[in-house]
Amino acid sequence: MISNQLSLVRRELWEHRAIYIAPLVIALVMSLMSLTGQVTISAFGHEVDLAIIGASSAGEIERQAAINAILTVFTSIFALGAWILMIFYSLDALYAERRDKSILFWRSLPVTDAETVISKLLTAVLVIPLTAFAFVVVTHLLNLILWSIWLSIQGGDAGHILWSAAPLFDNWAATLIIAVAMPLWLSPLIGWFLFVSAFTRRSPLLIAFLPMFVVPMLEKLVSSTSLFWDAIFVRSVRPPLFKGIDVSRIFDEDNFQIAADTASLLAKIDLARFLSSPSMWLGLVVCGLFTTAAIYIRRYRDES
Amino acid sequence: MTSLVTARGVSKRFGDVLAVDNVSFEIEQGRIMGLIGPNGAGKTTLLKALLGLTDCDGELSVLGLDPFRQRKELMRNICFIADVAVLPRWIRVSQLLNFMAATHPNFSMSRAQELLSHTKVRPDAKVRQLSKGMVTQLHLSIITAIDARLLVLDEPTLGLDIIFRKEFYGNLLNDYFDGERTILITTHQVEEIENLLTDIMFINEGRIILDTTMDSLAGQYSELMASGDNADKARSFGPIFERDVFGKKAMVFEGVSREQLADLGELRTPSVADLFVAKVKGAAA
Repeated sequence: MISNQLSLVRRELWEHRAIYIAPLVIALVMSLMSLTGQVTISAFGHEVDLAIIGASSAGEIERQAAINAILTVFTSIFALGAWILMIFYSLDALYAERRDKSILFWRSLPVTDAETVISKLLTAVLVIPLTAFAFVVVTHLLNLILWSIWLSIQGGDAGHILWSAAPLFDNWAATLIIAVAMPLWLSPLIGWFLFVSAFTRRSPLLIAFLPMFVVPMLEKLVSSTSLFWDAIFVRSVRPPLFKGIDVSRIFDEDNFQIAADTASLLAKIDLARFLSSPSMWLGLVVCGLFTTAAIYIRRYRDES
Repeated sequence: MTSLVTARGVSKRFGDVLAVDNVSFEIEQGRIMGLIGPNGAGKTTLLKALLGLTDCDGELSVLGLDPFRQRKELMRNICFIADVAVLPRWIRVSQLLNFMAATHPNFSMSRAQELLSHTKVRPDAKVRQLSKGMVTQLHLSIITAIDARLLVLDEPTLGLDIIFRKEFYGNLLNDYFDGERTILITTHQVEEIENLLTDIMFINEGRIILDTTMDSLAGQYSELMASGDNADKARSFGPIFERDVFGKKAMVFEGVSREQLADLGELRTPSVADLFVAKVKGAAA
């Protein structure tokens, strides 16, 4: 069972090379932007010197907060990319094999429909985000190295300015939690996409997204409520995973510096709230129902 | 002989259409069974039921298993090549072999590599880069490398040129068939497989209209070429089918002894294709 799952997931990586090529491209583009940024600002020699002096003399918390913000921007871009990948992957997962008629070949092997569909679900909720996470770590390190080299050339102390202050493990631990938790939060949508890709005869993208807009509109017309809109869109953008940001507390007035937890991404994560959220568990149930339906369709529908 | 496939009263309905209508038959181990039928006769539906790809009514047992409910177990010991079950175009040959080795307990990697080494199919090629003939070679090599008890072929050579078709059946007999394994095959190009079949089954409008061994075919059926008075005399024996051939009458008889017909003209065993036409058209007349 488990070795079959590994083979099936590896098969998904062969077929959907975007799972690792897309984050690779993001990593390269962002590193390239770092390099062009360095070339551009190097022209302003005097200002660069002042900035380095400023950064060197800034407080540790300030430096941590600044680097944490930059690391988090990098992370967010990968997270967005992974989410787009997850949408397109799960819409394609059970559709492409029917379009290219290879489904009967796959079904001629001693692998059950449940094993196949579950391998595709695991690829979407586990493999794609964890691959993105690995690229986040590599990109963070690569860019820190690029900026260290630049700082050294400019006469700055990279060890002091960057490395001693970069909250790498804090940021990575938080990113890993986000990479595991967010797909769970979004899993009802992923289940829906898999279900659409299992039944639709054409344009899975359209079939998946059209009802997500039409049904809330009809609901609004008929009953003036917006339950579907809230369930789909408001839910998506408000995961119970993060603590709210209290703007008045960013600056710690007692010690006259930036509040310590501003420098920590991990401090923003509220795992207890996430795990105790009924909405999250309900979402998992919805995902399970859609996945079961997708297995059922793959097993019982006659493809001829 | 052990029976590998047993069907009793198998039916499959699509809405108002009865695609397979109360069919019963057996396939014994070590046989090469040809399933012949016109388009829409229910061949593919019957094969799908055997392969557990579709549910059906009646009693159907393949290798002692219920194909639809025990499909995973069944697929360890069954292989199939169907015109519609195409290999994925994005996959590399080497990836395909690795995947087979990882998921199929009866697949032999070394055997597959050896079989492929006799073809032009390179391990690093993608399926989309191969010609249709090469894809079929690849598919047959994979199937042959599986130690399976039953091989089901549904129009395996559709769209291939004559060289590939001859080679396909040659390889099938030389590499796959060993007297222990069993093959069930459907095709329109019945002339090409006639000589390799041991058993034959005709299906028309969802019903089996002939189920016999090739050996007993000659005893049951004869085709007479006769003209003039002889043709009229022969007609009194009740031919199941009659057609014109170069001014003569070609008549197919079922269960009429050859001694009775011998004096009336040229006698021979009808080809499978002629017999098929006789059975289908004769039943319609």
